[in-house]
Amino acid sequence: MVVREDSVETKHEAIELVLARLLRLGSLVAAALLAVGLTAMVVGLTGIAPRLITAGLLVLLGTPVLRVAAAALIFVRERDWYFAFFCAVVLAALATGILLGRAGG
Amino acid sequence: MVITFIEIFLLGIGAGIMGSMLGLGGGIIIVPALTILFGMSMRTAVAASTVSIIATSTGAAVAYLRDRLTNTRVAIWLEMGTALGALGGALIAGVINQRVLYIMFGLLLGYSTYNMFKARKQELPSGIVPDALSQKLRLGGSYYDKALGHRVDYQVTRTVPGLIIMIFSGAAAGLLGIGAGIFKVPAMDQVMGMPFKASTATSNFMIGVTAASGAVVYFARGDVQPLVAGPIVLGVLLGAIIGAKLMVRLRANLIRLCFIPLIAYTALTMIYRGVKWW
Repeated sequence: MVVREDSVETKHEAIELVLARLLRLGSLVAAALLAVGLTAMVVGLTGIAPRLITAGLLVLLGTPVLRVAAAALIFVRERDWYFAFFCAVVLAALATGILLGRAGG
Repeated sequence: MVITFIEIFLLGIGAGIMGSMLGLGGGIIIVPALTILFGMSMRTAVAASTVSIIATSTGAAVAYLRDRLTNTRVAIWLEMGTALGALGGALIAGVINQRVLYIMFGLLLGYSTYNMFKARKQELPSGIVPDALSQKLRLGGSYYDKALGHRVDYQVTRTVPGLIIMIFSGAAAGLLGIGAGIFKVPAMDQVMGMPFKASTATSNFMIGVTAASGAVVYFARGDVQPLVAGPIVLGVLLGAIIGAKLMVRLRANLIRLCFIPLIAYTALTMIYRGVKWW
């Protein structure tokens, strides 16, 4: 059991590092879009600025959801079925909540 | 306009530092600051605050994941509870008495405050025996504590009670729009027996997912105003990165000492809100 775990650890990169990379990418892209958008606003490009900022906010919003999906894939690859299932439950609850929220709002 | 941007940006940095270190969303600072200091509407402030919770979580999680302070397995197990609880909360929102809820959750937080105060001198939990489910799910963790200068191995217990508290905390977030992290940290620290730093880092990791589902609704309603949310989120991202770098070097006792007044304050406000219109 322990040996098998170790072999999984060495064959693939640890889940923490994969997720850290994904979250860093998401926050860098979001921060860049926000910074460019705010600068555009300050120099008077009022047409495009709010759209750039909104794009940045949407990238940020998508990052945690993508993180759950990425974790699900990693658990499937590691044949960790319990945790793959837990991630699927989270994703399903999020999707239902979003659909209900949009309908209700 | 530039001045306002800079002021909101600085507010974001402050909220990001605090939120990332304590595992909270930072709404406790952002919402009053935007409504009272900047005279914005509650809707705008809450929407901006919800998006910045995602920024706190995403910005700080990178450092916490690399340092292994975040327990991803515990996070995913408990996220099930918060996600299902939030859904349940939204479904029963019409039929439940909010005042009773405020008082109930307020008392729960009051009790957590008391427990946290009792444990204020305890740097790391000791003698935690993992329950059967925790062993089966391999929830235990290990991280290198930069403040103590040694590796900390820990076990996790009361796996199911932890999940049940998360269902309630998710429902509270869905019903009352509060409590991104304030219930999560005591649930892990006091109920499940995790080290305080691992609890705040894991809470930080989880709140992004909780907030994302709320933020989608605010976006759909058009409550997210780019010129307010933009500068605050940029500030929070930066603050969260700074806060995470600081937190890993601090002792758990010091972080807990900062947490206690906030949880006490939240407990009192919630009880007050519940009693006010009784």
